[in-house]
Amino acid sequence: MKNRVWIIILSFSVLICAVCWLYISNLSPLSQIVGIYQNGNLVEKIDLNSVTERREITLSGEYGKNTVLVSNGHIMMKSAECPDKLCVKHGELKNGGTPIVCLPNRVVVKFEDSPDGADAKTGAVR
Amino acid sequence: MKTKNLILTAILTALALVSFMIEAAIPPLTPIYGIKLGIANVFTLFALYALGTRQAAAVLFLRILLGSIFTGQLVSFIYSLTGGVLSFALMVLLKRFFPVKQVWVLSALCAVMHNVGQLGAAVLMTGTVQILYYLPVLVIAGIIAGTFTGLCAQLVLMRLKNQTY
Repeated sequence: MKNRVWIIILSFSVLICAVCWLYISNLSPLSQIVGIYQNGNLVEKIDLNSVTERREITLSGEYGKNTVLVSNGHIMMKSAECPDKLCVKHGELKNGGTPIVCLPNRVVVKFEDSPDGADAKTGAVR
Repeated sequence: MKTKNLILTAILTALALVSFMIEAAIPPLTPIYGIKLGIANVFTLFALYALGTRQAAAVLFLRILLGSIFTGQLVSFIYSLTGGVLSFALMVLLKRFFPVKQVWVLSALCAVMHNVGQLGAAVLMTGTVQILYYLPVLVIAGIIAGTFTGLCAQLVLMRLKNQTY
């Protein structure tokens, strides 16, 4: 194939991905239930609307500790001891498309798919 | 001739390692996570076209191994290796369809494959499928970075067209 054809194909792919990204990062959460996972296992499930006082949840992993801060309607990674601290930079968990992820310690904080907490995507009921 | 080949492979590995280390040491170009240029890929591509599959494999995998030891990040070793194996497999498979003038296309495709592989590794490591949300970002980054590194290798290859190794 000619270079020109490839330029069109690749530019088109970039465009499609950009649209997908806009869609994903604006998905509204399906519930206010947040699950905190480590190594793929549920550590804690929290209903953000029923949180009355601020509290911190500490998780230990291979690369140090992660501290999750929960308050009414809000959840974020307050601190992390891993090298890059991307989960902290992520800020508050805002939408259903983009979970907070700490790869070194394998921690994921995300909105659950349904109010009862059954995970529709993986099919697992916890 | 054989010695020359061996030495060239060694030099390319060293260059790839150095560029990898420099890239790891300087602050990332973008604030977006997981996105980098991957300059070391220039040397793998060059080795593939100028020397051959085995030499390119040596340049790539020795660089990944040594780079992980020198930067001391074992987490990234697993991701690097997964991405490296997948993109290299694709590179070898598709090489016959891309003449020297289209190295940049092959590079872009392989960079995307590399990123997809790393994300796949992340999904397996965390056991969370939702991480795939990052796929569009990584595909775009792969196309841009791959095109750039591919062009670098391509321009050098075209200048050295009549060189025999």
